[in-house]
Amino acid sequence: MSLSPSSGIGRYYKHSAKIIRFVRLGCTNRPFYHVVVMERRKNQHQPVIEQVGTYDPMPNQKNERLVSFNFERIRYWLGRGAHLSTPTAELLGIAGFLPIHPRTYMTAWRNRQKVAEDGTIEAKDPVEA
Amino acid sequence: MLRTTTGVLARLTINESKTSSSAFALEFVRWRRKPRWLPVAKSKLYRVPERKEQNAEERAELMRLHNNYKLQMRSLRQYLREEVLRLNVTTTADHIVLTPEQEEAEFARCMQENETWNQKIAVERNERLLKERERQAVEIRERLEAARVREEERMERIEEIVRREKELAKTFITHENLETAIEQALANPVDYNFSIDLQGNIYRGRTTLPGGKGTPATSGVQDTEVQQTIEASN
Repeated sequence: MSLSPSSGIGRYYKHSAKIIRFVRLGCTNRPFYHVVVMERRKNQHQPVIEQVGTYDPMPNQKNERLVSFNFERIRYWLGRGAHLSTPTAELLGIAGFLPIHPRTYMTAWRNRQKVAEDGTIEAKDPVEA
Repeated sequence: MLRTTTGVLARLTINESKTSSSAFALEFVRWRRKPRWLPVAKSKLYRVPERKEQNAEERAELMRLHNNYKLQMRSLRQYLREEVLRLNVTTTADHIVLTPEQEEAEFARCMQENETWNQKIAVERNERLLKERERQAVEIRERLEAARVREEERMERIEEIVRREKELAKTFITHENLETAIEQALANPVDYNFSIDLQGNIYRGRTTLPGGKGTPATSGVQDTEVQQTIEASN
């Protein structure tokens, strides 16, 4: 469990590889993610450079998964050459900020295939962290 | 973890051919992942893992999608990079942009403000300095007075010492009266030797004998008391 604040106290080298990715918070059987910018080589629970969003993968009472992004800062960090982890890229694709990630299409057609075969509605998570 | 199995010797004799070149039959007990230096487990020795079958159609589709995605991302990244550069140049977030006239006016206003502040502070400073100077003068005067008193006391003490020494100097032995002093000392020898008996009687002189000259007739104190004091002193 991370004890470092999400306000962004992480130190980084100027030319090190940065990445926009998830940090798993929450607890056992209850995941919750922060979307953060941090040095690529670091462990996810190290201090982050900046938090640029949140993602709650568990549907709430209205069957919604809540995502928030700070698009201004994401634009900035992508412009600075930050990398993107695949789950983040998928989420941003669904959010309409980036083109849809191929894995999203793949998951979708595999779910459709499964439904066609079994007749059951047991779709897999579109975004798996 | 290694555990030596029981009955090693017995098994060695019976089926020696089955054991490896090592004299001990070793069994590895694991409760986690196999360390890298351990050999392949016997049950997994000739296992060939199955390849996941790939759908050629799906593979081609994914390849196409990925190519598209990478192309789009590349151009998007380039656009964002240029945007960041552009913003760095044109941003006024961390500095204020003014025309030269405005800057001049701003500078003049700042200077005027500074002048008024300086004047106000100068008045305050002069008052403060005046007060400080007065206080300092008083303090110096006090300290001078105290020093004078101290010096007087010191001189008095010195005078006292000198007077005492002068009085004492009358009895000093000098070169002039050295002879007379020696003669006087020779004429009046002083014997500081004495002895004491158990009753506490003091016999003055080096050669005095009990009952002779200088013997105290009766001791001034009680015998028991003397005994006690002697014991206590011991």
